Amino acid sequence: MSEPVPAVEIRHLVKDFRTSFRRRPLRAVDDLSLTIRAGEVYGLIGPNGSGKSTTMKALLGLMAPTSGSCRIFGKDSLKVDSRDEVGFLPENPYFHKHLTGVETLRFYGRLCGLRGRALDDRVVELLDLVGLTDAGGRRLAGYSKGMLQRIGLAQALVQEPRLVILDEPTAGVDPVGSRGIRDLILALRDRGITVFLCSHLLEQVQEVCDHVGILCGGRIVREGRLDDLISIEDQTEIVIRRAGADLVERITALVGESPGASIVRSGRPRTTLERLFLETTTGKEGGA
Amino acid sequence: MNAHVPAGKRRGGHVVRILTIGAHAFTQLARMKVFHFLALFAVLAIASNFLNLPQHEGPESAGAAVLRSIKSWSLGAMTLFSVVIAVAATALLIPKDIEDRTLYTILAKPVPRIDYLAGRLLGVLLLLFVSLLAMDLLMTAVLQARTAIVLGEQRDMAAALGWPHDAVESLLAETRAAGPGWPLQGAVAAVFVRAAVMASIALLISTFSTSTLFTTVVGLLVYFIGHFQADARDFWLQGGEAGEGAAARLASLALALVLPDFQLFNVIDAVIEGSVVPLATLGRLVLAGGYYVVLFTLASWFIFAEKEI
Ligand SMILES: Nc1ncnc2c1ncn2[C@@H]1O[C@H](COP(=O)(O)OP(=O)(O)OP(=O)(O)O)[C@@H](O)[C@H]1O
Ligand SMILES: [Mg+2]
Repeated sequence: MSEPVPAVEIRHLVKDFRTSFRRRPLRAVDDLSLTIRAGEVYGLIGPNGSGKSTTMKALLGLMAPTSGSCRIFGKDSLKVDSRDEVGFLPENPYFHKHLTGVETLRFYGRLCGLRGRALDDRVVELLDLVGLTDAGGRRLAGYSKGMLQRIGLAQALVQEPRLVILDEPTAGVDPVGSRGIRDLILALRDRGITVFLCSHLLEQVQEVCDHVGILCGGRIVREGRLDDLISIEDQTEIVIRRAGADLVERITALVGESPGASIVRSGRPRTTLERLFLETTTGKEGGA
Repeated sequence: MNAHVPAGKRRGGHVVRILTIGAHAFTQLARMKVFHFLALFAVLAIASNFLNLPQHEGPESAGAAVLRSIKSWSLGAMTLFSVVIAVAATALLIPKDIEDRTLYTILAKPVPRIDYLAGRLLGVLLLLFVSLLAMDLLMTAVLQARTAIVLGEQRDMAAALGWPHDAVESLLAETRAAGPGWPLQGAVAAVFVRAAVMASIALLISTFSTSTLFTTVVGLLVYFIGHFQADARDFWLQGGEAGEGAAARLASLALALVLPDFQLFNVIDAVIEGSVVPLATLGRLVLAGGYYVVLFTLASWFIFAEKEI
């Protein structure tokens, strides 16, 4: 085998929506091409209405592209078997509120062909994974937004897919929960599972993704490895614990002596609000 | 990472998926309050036959008439409730799935769209079957009890009037025939088939309609039109006479191919009147019903396969 099949391959995807009869159609996705290799964690970011969700739906075959093609592990998205190895969490998921968490997961598991012991075990495992073991027997009508999001995530993972597509996985989830989801995504990555996500929480995207695409007006405007995209080539950062005033002075002097170099800023790094929240609500050291 | 079983092998067949989606739809519907109310009303409607007013007529003429009116009333209630449940429940399911975005999660699994539609329809059919079964049991119980009472009255009357043995026996036989029995079960089966056809019509409408209300209204309209279809056809055929006869016949045949003729279900009235419906007629009814259900489900699929969700 030379080049392994990419997990996601989108070629010149165009998606138009008819709005009203007279006006010209709205182009939600405009000639988008994208490749995600197996094992990558790919983050799609962009303003509201830039076409992120539309791209994901086209990739899943939920809507037919106006032109172009989408493939998952080499299989055309318009064919049912392309969805064998995909798990999808839509934005703001909402499930039948008359069912309990366990019933919901069992339903999705059966749709993927699981049954018997394997299904029972998988449901227990998933509830534990998303932290809903205690709520599993309750009807979804009584779930909070974040709990629905988690049951949605569990549902996406039910058949142990090789590709997981997450549309704003942490929207509405509290910081502890969203950190849990972040860890989960990292655990998926460690097991070699490809993750394709979109989010507005850029810090989180920065934390978990190794590749990022920026979508604007239906077009990819920047794309590549995260490290390449965000590192500032001509700057170096040093963070020192317990630096005395004289040490700072000496360093400043040293920098002043070297030709061409200058200090951009110095001061105390601030903890993030997220880290502070985590420290005070869980009592643990939050920093990664 | 665990050894990967090729997912296609694991996926399971159409039947498993349709049953899963059907059971899911059934649970969902059975837990909705609307249907609890409907069921309650249906039960009350049939149970009300227990407390009929005292008869003014003599038992010999009243006997069979009372039983007939119980059957007529109960089957009428079953028809009404089954058609309403069939149309409303089907009309609810798909818009609700779209609204809840469960359609995204279901179709993002390896589920062909035809399996989804067939499963949803199956869920409604299960609901219909269960509610009709309950109503049927109740009706049979009511009828059983009332038949026993009427038979007793008739025996007393005959003894008082000193009727000859043969006459008494033939009166009692007539009453028994009007009581519960297989023809009645056949009529309930016909009610089910009709509701199933209505559910599949509602399924077809709901694939292109945008609201539950629209689907329900159009579905019920189709139901009434279906009742007039045969009349219209008869009218044309008589009016058209010789020359246009063939063309009209062809047109009406074409119409019958796509729109069910609900007058097929007049056997229900025949059963109420006490006539015995031949098994062959019932078989034809079931076959015709099955044909329309499959036809409308396939038609729904053609529309739904292209649908953007
Ligand atoms: N079903 C639809 N019919 C018509 N227009 C649509 C439809 N779905 C999306 N659009 C339009 O397509 C564009 C892209 O929408 P999309 O939902 O993909 O954006 P998004 O990037 O996911 O935004 P957000 O960050 O708000 O979730 C928007 O202008 C939207 O109005
Ligand atoms: Mg979106």
